[in-house]
Amino acid sequence: MPRTIVPFGPQHPVFPEPIQLKITYEDEKVVDVVPALGYGHRGIEKACELNDFQKNIYLCERICGICSSIHGIAYCEAVERLWPLEIPQRAKYLRTIFSEMSRVHSHLLWLGLFADAFGFESLFMQFWRIRERVLDMIEMTAGHRVTQSVSVIGGVRRDISAEQKSRMLDTFKTVKAETERLTSVLRKDYTVKARTVGVGVITTEQAVLFGCVGPVLRGSGVAEDARMQDIMAYKDLEFEPIVEQDGDSWARCLVRFRECLQAIDLIVKALNKLPEGELAVKFKGNPPAGEVSFRHEQPRGEMFYYVKGNGTKNLDRVRVRTPTYSNIPSLLLMLPGSSLPDVPIIVHTIDPCISCTER
Amino acid sequence: MPFMLPTIISNFFSGPATRKYPVVDRVPPERARGHIVFDDNKCVYCGNCARKCPAAAIEVKVKEKMLDFHPDRCIVCEVCVEACPKNAITLESKWRKPFATREVEEHRGKVVEKPPKTETPQKEDAPPPEKSGDS
Repeated sequence: MPRTIVPFGPQHPVFPEPIQLKITYEDEKVVDVVPALGYGHRGIEKACELNDFQKNIYLCERICGICSSIHGIAYCEAVERLWPLEIPQRAKYLRTIFSEMSRVHSHLLWLGLFADAFGFESLFMQFWRIRERVLDMIEMTAGHRVTQSVSVIGGVRRDISAEQKSRMLDTFKTVKAETERLTSVLRKDYTVKARTVGVGVITTEQAVLFGCVGPVLRGSGVAEDARMQDIMAYKDLEFEPIVEQDGDSWARCLVRFRECLQAIDLIVKALNKLPEGELAVKFKGNPPAGEVSFRHEQPRGEMFYYVKGNGTKNLDRVRVRTPTYSNIPSLLLMLPGSSLPDVPIIVHTIDPCISCTER
Repeated sequence: MPFMLPTIISNFFSGPATRKYPVVDRVPPERARGHIVFDDNKCVYCGNCARKCPAAAIEVKVKEKMLDFHPDRCIVCEVCVEACPKNAITLESKWRKPFATREVEEHRGKVVEKPPKTETPQKEDAPPPEKSGDS
């Protein structure tokens, strides 16, 4: 059988960002995949070394467009651990709320794009309509729809007033009801099942061996989530990771869908338990010399920040490892054996974020 | 298709989710970060905002009392608003209108020229005191 090598990307309707997969086909079956990265490198890590440590927050937020606030929060948490600074309880809860709001809108965005990838356009529009309500809530509280800039070293900058809180509770009740209404579509609809069940399977052992993170790992039956650590307010909110056992595209889709509902519950719980108090602690001087690492869960999986201080206003090193980088190797297992029209769906299930990966 | 029916039926009665944009303008939330406005009367040209701006959108020359603001660089992070000791920078919730050229907003303060120092007669030049009396 003759083999054909097709360059999938860097410009492709499925990819919002540039990544290339050199896919070798035998007839319509994929037999080999070689990913090529490096189209979106911006040198943010190097810029972080040249910048003031307080200005880096806004730079780190620009690593990713979707989970920008989580990048800012993770950077602040890492730098605070150099002193170490104990941030107020209210700030911890607010950081949790802003992180979870990012997760809800990111998962709704993904669910919409995923539906669009297999041609279910009306489902795509329904998810994006719901997402718009979440973005409105983010804009109301943080000031911006996407680049939120709420976190500072020592706490947060924006508070949630009582009026905003009641509006948020009402909106998230509607968002949850509207999202739940689409449960039966995702779980029972023939179109969804025919395109996703048994497509791009990765077993538990393979997922662990290839170092997968986030919904890809949890979709293969491993209960691993960075939010299980004692960070921010997740311990108080009794967070439990969501796990599916099948390891196929449908399982990963369901993990994200259930996480979306869980994140709404976490926001409501955090809003109801929101303690009174200061928003930020004051600190003096520059971060002391030392090195620190911090893990936080992005919508796409576990993110890792390493920060090395030297006692001056500039940091020696800021290293970021983002979830897509850990999940790309799993494509080498999922894609071979699948057919040509399944490739966009499988690639979508790792939720690739290339601007995060290459920074 | 049958599983989408409840959503489709509710969409029939819930009205459009979009607004007729150019006709109906969107009102941003109260503290949305739209753009920043400088008040020349309050500004003391201390340069606090310029030092803290992460995007280098503000340039201040303290002695000349000159402030140049680059709207195209501004990321509307609100750091300058918080840093200003005189509340000379305010946050507007509406977005700035799109612009095609990179124009710089120039803010100039009145440079009060210090009066030139009056030349005090030096001791050496001072006329010698008149000798009085007999010596």
